[in-house]
Amino acid sequence: MSKNKVPLAEGFFTWPSDQPKLIGSKCKVCGTPAFPKSPYCTNPDCEKKTENVEVIELSNKATLYTYAVQAYPMPEPFKMQPFEPFPLGMLDFPEGLRILGMLTTDQVEIGMQMEMTTRKLYEDDQNEYITWAWKPVK
Amino acid sequence: MKNREIAIVGLGVHPYGKWPDKSMAELGCYAISQALEDAHMKWRDIETMACGAYMWIADQGGVPSLLLGTSISTMMGGTGIPCCNIVNACATGQSILREACLAVASGEHDIALAVGSDKSAGGFFRPQGNDKRYDNDWIRYAMVGETNPGYWAMEMRRRIHDCGTTEEDMAMVKVITSRGGVHNPNARYRKEYTLQEVLESPMVCDPLRLYEICATSDSASAIIVVPMDQAEKYTDKPILIEGLAVGSPSFGDPCIPLTYLSSYPQADVGTLGWSESRNALAAAYKQSGRTPDDINVVELPDNSSWHYLTYMDMILQLPYGGSDQLLRDGYFNVPDGKVPVCPSGGFGAFGEATVAQGLWQCIEVAYQLRGDLGPRQITNNPKVGLAQSYGYAGNNGVCIMSKAF
Repeated sequence: MSKNKVPLAEGFFTWPSDQPKLIGSKCKVCGTPAFPKSPYCTNPDCEKKTENVEVIELSNKATLYTYAVQAYPMPEPFKMQPFEPFPLGMLDFPEGLRILGMLTTDQVEIGMQMEMTTRKLYEDDQNEYITWAWKPVK
Repeated sequence: MKNREIAIVGLGVHPYGKWPDKSMAELGCYAISQALEDAHMKWRDIETMACGAYMWIADQGGVPSLLLGTSISTMMGGTGIPCCNIVNACATGQSILREACLAVASGEHDIALAVGSDKSAGGFFRPQGNDKRYDNDWIRYAMVGETNPGYWAMEMRRRIHDCGTTEEDMAMVKVITSRGGVHNPNARYRKEYTLQEVLESPMVCDPLRLYEICATSDSASAIIVVPMDQAEKYTDKPILIEGLAVGSPSFGDPCIPLTYLSSYPQADVGTLGWSESRNALAAAYKQSGRTPDDINVVELPDNSSWHYLTYMDMILQLPYGGSDQLLRDGYFNVPDGKVPVCPSGGFGAFGEATVAQGLWQCIEVAYQLRGDLGPRQITNNPKVGLAQSYGYAGNNGVCIMSKAF
């Protein structure tokens, strides 16, 4: 029997889902988006009223702005078992945000269209702990 | 500084390294003692102090290190003076020096001390708690796998893509800065590196190699400031603080500072980013009335080769990528370039000691302006210098100083 896939922290992406998406927020007055969701609009010139902000799901397609490969093992609280060098990047969203995320492969190029998925970090007896990640659009 | 001109009259540094047998308070007391001796003062002469508050309390020192100034003043012997603990990540040094200067500039005090002491967490800096709900630093580290060098490497990759920065450019940064460190008695790594050694060092965060990022160290620094019209009582080589500014990011900056998960790039902030650094630089240039052409020596945050090149673009107000060619042309050479950069050896030779290092950068610029440093004295007879520090989470500090003797 396969283990439950559980997000390492709740509230960052829709789960369970066949097409997971990051969860952000948007100001209904000026349109400024945020990730993770913010209780107040982060535009300095917009009024600070929590009722102006709504929770949104972000696009599951984005453009790779840059990336790197973490080649050297990291101490906790990062856990990846077993550790293997992994790529991570910054992605530009249609909503105007630029957001961090792991990548599923280092066979990528700046400007590439990517699609959101999830990847495993580690597991225990009951669960497999996952995070959001990006793969090239086929 | 508007109301009174401020002079640096006392400098103190504890050598950088790993000092497992010394507490941060002990390192701080050493630096203060050095600064007092330099200024021919006694501890009781200090009228107010601002201290760097330690950031890595989950690793070492606990709450007494978060309230480090109070711990240090107790070890020095309490004199009842105002003591504030301030943390602005790596920009803490310029931030506490600013507090000391404002205390003197306002006329409230005549002798003020800034002191920072640090035993930075070894290896990759990491979150200090286990709060998944509100600590985005935990999320970016544990859930995205972003280390500090991982962030720098992403920025480096983009610079290579946009500007054509080469592997050799990245490696030359270490080669050039190591020439200063070899002669600096306070440096931790006193070795000159060759291009080949840097290019053959292990990959840590592709495209950055081991010798293209800095280590983390233990150290402390202290600076004493007084009104310029009283400086001659304490030193025959006063250094004038012409501009001292702290910056934070502007809304719409395209960069994602460490500890954050996203940005919202806006055209009116420009496409280049690091607005906290540009904001601090612009304010320090404005206060001092100086322009980039006036700067003879720079200490900048060479946490990585990417920082060095990016900061020289900003400090000299060059187009994005403009410093690559100046580096190749020897403009930043130590000790004999047109504008030597990190003649101290930089973080490459010293390592980071988070809340102490911004002060130390100011001290190294002040040493060069005082002159007579022997083999590490830069050869352009510097009159004006700039020390800039770059902090975690969008913090920045800049100090412009000049020779006042």
